[in-house]
Amino acid sequence: MSEQFEPNLVAFVCNWCTYAGADLAGTSRIQYPPNLSVIRVMCTGRINPLFVLNALQQGADGVLVSGCHPGDCHYMEGNYYARRRFTLMKDLLEYVGVDPKRFHMSWVSASEGAKWKEVVETTVNEAKEVGPFEQFQRNKINW
Amino acid sequence: MDNMKLAKEKVGDFLAKLGKERFRVPQETGGSSRFAPLNGESSVDFTLSNTTVPLKSLFYPQTETLYRYEVGETAMKAPGEADEMIIMGVRPCDAKALTIVDRLFSWDPKDPYYLGRREKATIIGLACQEPRVNCFCTSLGGGPASTEGLDILMTDLGESFLFQPLTEKGEKICQEAGDVLVKSEDSDVQAAEKVHKDAASKIVRKIDSEGIPEKLPQLWDSQIWKKTSEPCLGCGACTFLCPTCHCFDIQDEIEGLEGRRYRVWDSCMFKEYTLHTSGHNPRPTRRERTRNRINHKYSYFVDKFGVIACVGCGRCINLCPVNVDILNILSQVKEAL
Amino acid sequence: MADLEKLRAVAKETVSRDDVKYLIGWRQGTYGFRVSPHFITEPEEADKLIFSPLCSNNLATYLTLVEKLPVPRGQEPDTRKIALMVKGCDSRAVVQQLVEQGIKRESVIIIGCPCQGVVDLAKVEEKFPAVLEQVEARWDDGKIVFKLSEGEKAVPREEVLADKCLRCRYPNPVTADTLLWEKVEAESNDEYADVGELEGKAPEERWSFWEAYFSSCIRCYSCRNVCPMCYCEDCILDRLNPTWVNRSNNISENTAFHLARAFHLAGRCIECGECERVCPVNIPLMKLNRKLTKEVREKFEYEPGTDPDSKPLQASYRPNDQENFIL
Repeated sequence: MSEQFEPNLVAFVCNWCTYAGADLAGTSRIQYPPNLSVIRVMCTGRINPLFVLNALQQGADGVLVSGCHPGDCHYMEGNYYARRRFTLMKDLLEYVGVDPKRFHMSWVSASEGAKWKEVVETTVNEAKEVGPFEQFQRNKINW
Repeated sequence: MDNMKLAKEKVGDFLAKLGKERFRVPQETGGSSRFAPLNGESSVDFTLSNTTVPLKSLFYPQTETLYRYEVGETAMKAPGEADEMIIMGVRPCDAKALTIVDRLFSWDPKDPYYLGRREKATIIGLACQEPRVNCFCTSLGGGPASTEGLDILMTDLGESFLFQPLTEKGEKICQEAGDVLVKSEDSDVQAAEKVHKDAASKIVRKIDSEGIPEKLPQLWDSQIWKKTSEPCLGCGACTFLCPTCHCFDIQDEIEGLEGRRYRVWDSCMFKEYTLHTSGHNPRPTRRERTRNRINHKYSYFVDKFGVIACVGCGRCINLCPVNVDILNILSQVKEAL
Repeated sequence: MADLEKLRAVAKETVSRDDVKYLIGWRQGTYGFRVSPHFITEPEEADKLIFSPLCSNNLATYLTLVEKLPVPRGQEPDTRKIALMVKGCDSRAVVQQLVEQGIKRESVIIIGCPCQGVVDLAKVEEKFPAVLEQVEARWDDGKIVFKLSEGEKAVPREEVLADKCLRCRYPNPVTADTLLWEKVEAESNDEYADVGELEGKAPEERWSFWEAYFSSCIRCYSCRNVCPMCYCEDCILDRLNPTWVNRSNNISENTAFHLARAFHLAGRCIECGECERVCPVNIPLMKLNRKLTKEVREKFEYEPGTDPDSKPLQASYRPNDQENFIL
């Protein structure tokens, strides 16, 4: 089962670092798994933790949040706020029984195309390990 | 048809004979109780007191799909037909509440979802033996052994249950059960009557509802509403768990190219219940909302359907976290003027 | 301790002031062990005020729950103060509201009631079922004494007090304009044993635990409305555009609702336990909130509602916040 299972993942990435890093991975022709739908936002500080819940509800098997390294935020401090938020969101998800392998956060700078590949591989592999997300997916319950 | 008797050790046989999948019985999930399908077990715990979530949730579920649609299709898909249900262990107040809600859903236009389920359901009531402190059913024409809305009245006689069939549906169930049920003696009926009487005498809280429907419209600007609504939190506990409250909201849910229109319980105690698109809210504070809740039950519904939309089950009193007590409000209404 | 005469005298004096709009305290409820919030505008109404082990309501909720109607043209807004009676936990709510600038310090008068713990109604009603007459209660040297019609009944405090009170570290108001009587001694340290117990279980067990409770939720929003920290004028749960959480009642939406609610209280929950107390279907919401409270305390050394000069947790950061989970 886990071999055929191709997870559906959502990545919220910041415009200035990770998105550029992913772009670099592309222009450098680095191969990485295609299971990720990237959603570009201006800053990780703009990512409402409810996005993660909503993605899981709407059928994502895992979520990745990625932005600039601490100190490198284009808006000076957005990623510091995001770090606090997602530290807690991760704890909360794990506490109610959602596998921690379904949620990841990373710092990928504009020059780290190779790191982006690694991050995506980890995220995809771990999502494959835990299988499809069913706990509170909307999945047309009682339609 | 004659009265019948079901020995307690034969409850399992009774369920099996009629088909377990048809039964809905009181069950505890999480920290509350409600009517739900039998899950694997062969018996039912009839000692549970009145369920937290009232019987209405079986006929008028909190979320109900009205129809589904798909992009490209012109036809809408209506949900399938209702299942046949035998609901066992219903308290008389909940059954009486259904007869009240019936009037609304069979008004113009008739509601096919609710009425479809009603038609296919048989309700076996269980006479109350231990009314709670806040029960006041006897004040509103009901009682611990009221038969209104029931198909069979069941009374706990210690070793067995007395079955008193009240309608054709009820008789049919008794016939289907066959020899699981035995004929009852006259002494059983007398014993049951004693049980009913004892229970009724245990109901302490009372309200004389005489005159309240006429009086309420005159108290529109009364101080009562301000005073009694001050502690109110504006939550929906009283209305969602009321067996006669029936307001709903209609929403759409769209997933990709498919969608559904459904209705969900709504509560007049919520701010957004009367909120207009313009931002204007004709019931801007909890004072107006509390006034509406009482008026709807004791005045508007009476005007429209000739009956008070309250059965005295006491849930709103038990479950209100800030002690907004409908009996207290009503007695203030009685005293006013 | 719990000097009712003093409490009523202070209330009378406060409510007589011209700059006070109303005072919120507690009064005996309509039956049994219930207590109801009491709003007074006239000094004579102060005679009904009580303070007893039954006063579990956190009145700080009412500071933010009040509906703000538009002021008619030509009229001045009413800027009079609201006086409020607080226990230790309630005062933390007020402090947190001040930290977040949800209320202004000059618009409230805080009357502090050092508290020896309030009862859990479910525990009391199990001990004394079906009591209709109004029951008074008082603290008495490690016991709670209930005045029932058949005489006074003393019960050891451990048997009837709410769980939050048995581990309370803030029995005395953190901030107050008037303290009604001398402070009481605080309990021992809180080890978050309840959270730890659930954390120790397997993920599937944790999910089935929450799944049962979340699916029984009726979405009456009692927990949101009673929460002194839930005071957004435009709550995500009421919004339709965008729809964060659908109105339909199913495990998906209910879980999203509960996680969103808990998350919005991360670093803000002052552990008054009101959400759990009011829940009509008995969802152990504090087990959820306290998980985050615990993490916030361990990871960010932050305790909401204890320091009026602090900054809100999620509106501040430290460059060296831990980040061992980040790839």
